[in-house]
Amino acid sequence: MENGEHNNQTADGNGNGIIVIKNLTKKFGDNIVLDNISLSIEKGKTTVVIGPSGCGKTVLIKNFIVLLRPSSGEIYFKNKRIDNLPERELNTIRIHYGFLFQGGALFDSLSVAENIMFPIRQHYNTTDWGHVEDVIKTKLAMVGLDGFQNYYPANLSGGQKKRVALARAIALNPEVILYDEPTTGLDPIRADIINELVLKLQRELGATTVVVTHDMTSAYKIADRIIMLHNGKIIADGDAEHIRNHPHPVVQQFITGQVSEDDLAVLRASGSVAKAQFLPRDFKE
Amino acid sequence: MIGAIGANTVEDVSDIGRFGRFAWRAIKACGWSIGRTATYPLIWVQMNIIGVRSVPIVMITGAFVGMILAVQAYDQLAGMGLEEHLGVLINISVVKELGPVLTAVMLAGRVGGALTAELGTMNVTEQIDAVRSMGTDPVKYLVAPRLLACLFLTPVLIIYADLLGVLGGYFIGVIQLGINSQGYWDFSAYGVDMWDVAVGVIKGFFFGAAIAVISCYKGFTCKEGAHGVGQACTEAFVTSFMAILALDFALAVVFKAIYNTFWPMKSLVG
Repeated sequence: MENGEHNNQTADGNGNGIIVIKNLTKKFGDNIVLDNISLSIEKGKTTVVIGPSGCGKTVLIKNFIVLLRPSSGEIYFKNKRIDNLPERELNTIRIHYGFLFQGGALFDSLSVAENIMFPIRQHYNTTDWGHVEDVIKTKLAMVGLDGFQNYYPANLSGGQKKRVALARAIALNPEVILYDEPTTGLDPIRADIINELVLKLQRELGATTVVVTHDMTSAYKIADRIIMLHNGKIIADGDAEHIRNHPHPVVQQFITGQVSEDDLAVLRASGSVAKAQFLPRDFKE
Repeated sequence: MIGAIGANTVEDVSDIGRFGRFAWRAIKACGWSIGRTATYPLIWVQMNIIGVRSVPIVMITGAFVGMILAVQAYDQLAGMGLEEHLGVLINISVVKELGPVLTAVMLAGRVGGALTAELGTMNVTEQIDAVRSMGTDPVKYLVAPRLLACLFLTPVLIIYADLLGVLGGYFIGVIQLGINSQGYWDFSAYGVDMWDVAVGVIKGFFFGAAIAVISCYKGFTCKEGAHGVGQACTEAFVTSFMAILALDFALAVVFKAIYNTFWPMKSLVG
């Protein structure tokens, strides 16, 4: 085993991870998005899944919580197989997860406070609204947005929406927090606020964290372990140092953000085949 | 080409199966919701959106139906000296067929379109997935309140449409065209039974349920993007409209059979 490489096999074999997937394949029609993946997510650690757009990162974390069901393979949460459970039983498992969606997925018709209250009202038959308000205040304070209780999602910026969505995701003190592209669409400062929040919540809640991203600055900052997906398979798995020095050319190309020679050749050729730019006079002729 | 036809057929049959499963889940979710007072606030909200806000449009529809029938039928009946029979013609048409069907069509457009657009947008912005990720069944949370509101309030809206249809017909027939008021109402009372009114109102339960289930299903299964939501809304209206007509036909046959079976006993009961 190379230095820094993750010993995935051992975790799988012994079922040590809080989430374990075995031989997971996910197809949409004939398109194989995830191809026979096995991996184990360690409890209390931050695992970052990287890979180019469309490589199946989001599909992978949606399988972790069984929002998508695998075409084949098995998914375990705390040694209990969950991919074959009916929705009613899955709902009792899902309350142990918090999921931050890429666009936040806040309910437009509910205020910030009502959004955070949603999972609490669904699972606890409480009439102590004073306590619920305190919980909402605490959760919003954790993401730095106390005082925004009566705002509606339409009145929030992109970064604020993600923070409110994060407050909602941690409303039930989950054991696992899944982040789908948390920094996408944010400026570098707002993105770093989200990174700091991920670290803070991991520290304060002790939750297992899985982040899907293609933002390498974010990945290096928050990851205990980085997994890279390419063509539906895991091609790299280890800590930040291991990934930085990984010999696979696709990994190096991705982490340095360089376009491949093949893609460049296509781009250059396109200008010589057809006119790259049209001017108004071209249409008059 | 044969392959394409086969693939389309398989897809259509699968879609019918998915719709059937969705409808069954929605019915079960309604039973679950009725048994829990905690869900009632969700139902009140939908009743306000679906029912209360539809009252003006439904009343206007009913009034125009009554008035148009009066204008169109008056000349034919007057030519035969039967203008006092205008009341029975208008009122039986309104309470038995036109009131329920046109109210349902208006609701399919106003309510069904809005339901599909709302749930479709929630679907493409991952809000439905968010409901699932928090351990809540989206059919219980999103579909059941809407289905119950449509189920209970469509018959009520039909009564509003019937009432305005009768008044609209009276306004044109008696006040504008000068038909004798006593004769107008006497013939109406003779020709329209409580059974006719009940048939129209009972149809409302079926129409309301069909509109809600079809619109919610289209919203839950809509494709991504603005085009996907728009297409789902169109499909929801067209499918609801077809379902209303098909149900109206089926219910007309069923109610006629029931009436013919029990009508001979009417004199015994009366």
